[in-house]
Amino acid sequence: MQRRNRLVIIPAFNEAGCIVDTIEDIRQNAPSFDYVVINDCSRDDTGELCEKYHYNVVNLPINSGIGAAVQTGYMYAKRYGYEYAIQVDGDGQHDASFLEEMADIMEDSDINMLIGSRFIKKEGFQSSNLRRLGIKYFTFLIKVLTGKVVTDPTSGMRMVDREVIKIFADDYPKDYPEPETAVSIIKRGLKIKEIPVRMKERQAGVSSISFKRSIYYMIKVSLACVMAAFGVK
Amino acid sequence: MSGTLQAVVAIFAIVALMYIGNLVRTKRLELKYALVWFAVGTMLLIFDLAPGILQWLTNLLGIALPINMLFFLGFGFVLLIILTQTVVISNLTRKTKRLTQEVALLHRRIDNIKSREEETKEIIESIQKPDVGIAYYVDSEEP
Repeated sequence: MQRRNRLVIIPAFNEAGCIVDTIEDIRQNAPSFDYVVINDCSRDDTGELCEKYHYNVVNLPINSGIGAAVQTGYMYAKRYGYEYAIQVDGDGQHDASFLEEMADIMEDSDINMLIGSRFIKKEGFQSSNLRRLGIKYFTFLIKVLTGKVVTDPTSGMRMVDREVIKIFADDYPKDYPEPETAVSIIKRGLKIKEIPVRMKERQAGVSSISFKRSIYYMIKVSLACVMAAFGVK
Repeated sequence: MSGTLQAVVAIFAIVALMYIGNLVRTKRLELKYALVWFAVGTMLLIFDLAPGILQWLTNLLGIALPINMLFFLGFGFVLLIILTQTVVISNLTRKTKRLTQEVALLHRRIDNIKSREEETKEIIESIQKPDVGIAYYVDSEEP
């Protein structure tokens, strides 16, 4: 496999429905990127599909959760010396055509983390009202904790440089990492910037944040943000 | 507390301590985690053999009955043990996760090396075939 300096991390758990589309999308629309699929012990055909098409897949032998899967991707990025890494979910919610643009912006600046925000230009899939309220709350919380404004703190579309790759490879939250890691990156004195992106509605699968779990999400992530603000190791 | 009860509790505590000691000796219980259990057993034995200490402590805290003091202490110990265990579990979870990730990455690496090896083999074989028209000597001796 030819090595480039940009990596797409695709965590996949039971994503047989759209893993192929996701990867083909990346191959076509983000040709300067390598990719790695982290198959978190899927029970469907995700693993078989990856083998069949000879995709670059890392199979976790035990189901370890989304956080551990993504972290494995960052470990991979660190080990093979990638300059930039971005996580793209296996459900096809993100648009691969933004990847090149994001990487180019990062190459031309000293930003450590670039977040694709849905709420700067307010284009594309905007999420439900209730969810947007939750997102606004986290924007507010992060503002209080760090003084910085992050308009889309729950965006999974975040490109990071070598320095943040190292941090994530060593320490990454178990679940719902986005707001928490934003706080810890800002607190470490690293640079965060947001650019407008458009997101699609998910093609298959269900959001990891069902209504039932949203209470857990709010409490856990709030606490995690506060911990991250006070506990930079 | 009656003499009989005192004797029964003392025997119970000693047997428990011996059992814990045996668990450690046969490596079924890590000494590090056994310490708190030893502490529980020893304290029980001390309070049993010298009831005055418990009585004194009970009066000091203004608790009506020594038995309530004992319950209180027992409860405190149980909480402590559970907390210790939660810490241990978190630690183990972290370690298992790291190992899982490491195994997965190593697997990928092995597969990559294997496929590269096969590619190399194919190339060598294609060179060795006579119809390719290249003279290729394996194990040719130095002139």
